[in-house]
Amino acid sequence: MATKVTTTICPFCGVGCGMNLLTEKNRLISVEPQIDHPISRGQLCAKGWSSAYGIDPKDRITHPLIRTPQGFRQTSWNKALETVAARLKQIMEETGPQAIGIISSARATNEDNYAAQKLARAVLKTNNIDHCARICHSPTVAGLNQTLGSGAMTNSAEDIFETDLVLVFGADPTENHSILGGHIIRAHLEGTQLIVVDPRRTRLAKLADTHLQLKPGSNIALLNAIIKIILDNRWQDKKFLDQRCEGLAQLTASVANALEGVEKTTGISLPKIEAVAKAYSQSKRAMILYGMGVTQYVSGTNNVIALSNLALTCGQLGRKGTGINPLRGQNNVQGACDMGCLPNVYPGYQKVDNPEVRAKFSQHWKTEVPEHPGLTSMGMTKATLAGEFRGLILFGENPVVTDPDQNLVKRALGKLDLLVVAELTMTDTARMADIILPAASFAEKTGTFTNCERRVQHVQQALPPLGEARTDWQWLAAIAQQLESDQLDWPDSEAVFREITELTPIYSAMNYAKMDQLHGLQWPCSPETPEGTAILHKDTFPIGKARLIPVHPIPIDENIDSKYPLLLTTNRLHFHYGCGSMTRKSPLLEREIPTGLLFINPADANELGVTHQSAVGVGSRRGYIETRAMLTDDLPPGLVCMPYHFHEAPSNQLTNTAQDPLTKMPELKACAVFVQPLEPGSFPRPIDEISGLSVEGVK
Amino acid sequence: MKIQSFYLNHPNTLRDHLAKSYRIEPPQAAPGQNTPPLVSPKGQLFAEHENLFTFDGECFRETLPNPEPFALFGVQSCDLTAISYQDQFFANDPYYQARRQQALLIGIDCLSPCQHGFCPSVNAGPGVKHETADLILHQLSTTSWLLLACNQKGLGALEGLSLNPANQPELNDRDDRIASCIEQFSDDSHLKQGITAINQNQVPEDLWQQLGLQCLSCSGCTSLCPTCSCYGTWEQQESNGDIRRQRFWDSCLYESFQREASQHNPTEKAGERVKRFWTHKFGDNFAKEFGRYGCVGCGRCEVTCPGVIGVHSVMKRISSDAQLDN
Repeated sequence: MATKVTTTICPFCGVGCGMNLLTEKNRLISVEPQIDHPISRGQLCAKGWSSAYGIDPKDRITHPLIRTPQGFRQTSWNKALETVAARLKQIMEETGPQAIGIISSARATNEDNYAAQKLARAVLKTNNIDHCARICHSPTVAGLNQTLGSGAMTNSAEDIFETDLVLVFGADPTENHSILGGHIIRAHLEGTQLIVVDPRRTRLAKLADTHLQLKPGSNIALLNAIIKIILDNRWQDKKFLDQRCEGLAQLTASVANALEGVEKTTGISLPKIEAVAKAYSQSKRAMILYGMGVTQYVSGTNNVIALSNLALTCGQLGRKGTGINPLRGQNNVQGACDMGCLPNVYPGYQKVDNPEVRAKFSQHWKTEVPEHPGLTSMGMTKATLAGEFRGLILFGENPVVTDPDQNLVKRALGKLDLLVVAELTMTDTARMADIILPAASFAEKTGTFTNCERRVQHVQQALPPLGEARTDWQWLAAIAQQLESDQLDWPDSEAVFREITELTPIYSAMNYAKMDQLHGLQWPCSPETPEGTAILHKDTFPIGKARLIPVHPIPIDENIDSKYPLLLTTNRLHFHYGCGSMTRKSPLLEREIPTGLLFINPADANELGVTHQSAVGVGSRRGYIETRAMLTDDLPPGLVCMPYHFHEAPSNQLTNTAQDPLTKMPELKACAVFVQPLEPGSFPRPIDEISGLSVEGVK
Repeated sequence: MKIQSFYLNHPNTLRDHLAKSYRIEPPQAAPGQNTPPLVSPKGQLFAEHENLFTFDGECFRETLPNPEPFALFGVQSCDLTAISYQDQFFANDPYYQARRQQALLIGIDCLSPCQHGFCPSVNAGPGVKHETADLILHQLSTTSWLLLACNQKGLGALEGLSLNPANQPELNDRDDRIASCIEQFSDDSHLKQGITAINQNQVPEDLWQQLGLQCLSCSGCTSLCPTCSCYGTWEQQESNGDIRRQRFWDSCLYESFQREASQHNPTEKAGERVKRFWTHKFGDNFAKEFGRYGCVGCGRCEVTCPGVIGVHSVMKRISSDAQLDN
């Protein structure tokens, strides 16, 4: 039996590594890296190497399932679609289109995401469309759109090798974007200065020239102090500020007192802050890479603006080896945003509240489009609890595990009159559905993913869909057909992509053939830039001049007190991805991190009587879970940390739903908790076993 | 058997002939010369995922593979050396042997060094060693090749192909070309010094820990290394209720590789795991057991390691550290 090799893109994070799938008899037997891929250059991370396990037929959903009083029962596609359509119609007639919505998937292709927002807007007539970027980089989109006019990575991965200084701010790339993390290690070994800003001593922090171990939530205080020092010393890029920015006077005024108390607020000494200010501003080329440690705060959007202020002040933008570069979590979270799976924008960030944009889409689609603003995912949750939202179609996401305040999410999903979930495996969210649809995996479909450096890459089908599974845009089209609409009637994914290019200016000159030839195309790719754009804002910003916008420190929403004396932050591990529904199918990755864990400083552990790998209870105002303690001085005393990959011990029982006011990004990076040792030798109980207990009853 | 040598107009002539009786791997056309593929043929003999047996509640049933005869066509010397190393390791492994018995190995001489390769430093190339292949291809010119049959199996595979015996001058040319290729390899003093330092236990623990910090435990090196052979096992339930035991490639760079049920771990620190890996590749004790080092000089780990601790990177760090000490 000969092996078939299919060229495609890794399904995990936003780096978008090149991957070949080796199949035999319609079974994925192995994956291998691509030596000629422009980013990954023959490398993969632990998740990538284990991809074959993630989509293994075992445990896959292969047929539509319908909820009955006796549990889920297999049904036909026809019956499932008829049921979905009938209930959607009923809700629309009774409550109106604002009572239904779609949560699409940053794991699915651009074609799938485009179809999802088109189903919402052109067929269901609602702007209620969102996806999980809400809980990763919505503040990036909102912040950088205001300051630069575009909310994506300004530069390219290869720039890491052509810069003098890398500033990693609130990101843990060796674990979450391992191949880029490796690029940073390589560049650093070859002489690039490395500065890491993080409350935790990450792997890169240990390797770095400088680690600013700031207190959680003090990003703006630190950044304003750096800007103040730069301005005081005239280290700014005067020419860049004069020619390309506006708002310097206001910014200068706003940071006037930024040095007062900054050592106490941030926990970092002034000389250390000064050294970083000098190094960043005086480097010929300095590049900022940032992650969730910037965005997942109530101050998320302002944190992004503060970072942008720093880059603009020093003119570290628009050139090779510079820029402000958000590291995106999912393989296609950039694409899901690009495709307009957000309540306020159409594909290509064309605004819903602009009548001209609405007219453009209305004309192209030959149908009316809705005017009323849409709901975010958290908005849908809250509207459900208020009885105003009744029907949700959701695919490739598992909010029960990944969204903050799990109990709230569960209550809302349980209250819906219709929950349709399309998934690969039975996730905790799928378990709550009325109808489950079997989805095709990345290896079973054709389409495109857009990586974090805006590179749109071709995903090719290596296997037939398992059982009766369908590609997302195909079952979305089938729902549209049931609702007597031919809006989603495309013959193949390339036709979907053609429609995307007709309506999305930043994708307008792209096609599959050119993408294959050039290893993907970076947007904007229009007739003026037919081979794409590696560096944004070279000569001008989309908004003309960039804006310096004063921002002031905003404290974290929930500080510690005597009852909840430790601050909890969240992290991710190299070996797992998201809710773990794919990576936990690998015996190797599952063995590596078996039970979920809580990282805690040995001093805190000693004081509490907690020993290494012993069972502990962790509680916040919202929930209580049990897990194992890992003693490590990677965390400072007073701060504990949990990954969110494990449904047995979900950190989102604990996390705070307090939100960034603009983007509704929840503050996942800081909340107050207590930690208590459990009986020596006992095992942590999974959440299902605990959930009967109230929080008060435990403490 | 004495080596027999012939002229061949093009490898495709041989390939087409063999295709009548063998499945050809890789299935693509002409073999790449002078650079081994990123993925070695290891998985053709030691499968990445393999069923070992099933248990239906009463009986255990062995699930031995039963492959048709296949030819590994155009394999470089480094990878053939690795196969002969694996032949020893898996000498009593029926799953490996079931595949190995069906395999015909057609080697190809490399005539110029590849980017990261250092086969001459570890006695694994660039010319194919006669005892590691059944047939060997050697390019003389664009229109003329040498074909060497190293054993009866190789000779038998040529039956039905009309070939002219090669003359001694061309055989001498082969030796000369290989010798000249060896001279073109770049300086390997860091490798020699590194090997000595590892075997004399001169690498400081904190250097291993520094290198360990760069190990992301991705498993790339062990997946691509043609001599890595560690595997784990797990049981899975089939849809009919039978239990299937499967083995899968494991990696000694995972923290959990040696973690015991009590959670005790003899190699808890990443540096200890990195040290173990390189000791297995360059340790004299392993060389005694296998007749050679575990490293065949293919250089794949240098390419695939995101943390920049592939073979050259590690050996340069070790040798420069040793020099600083001296």
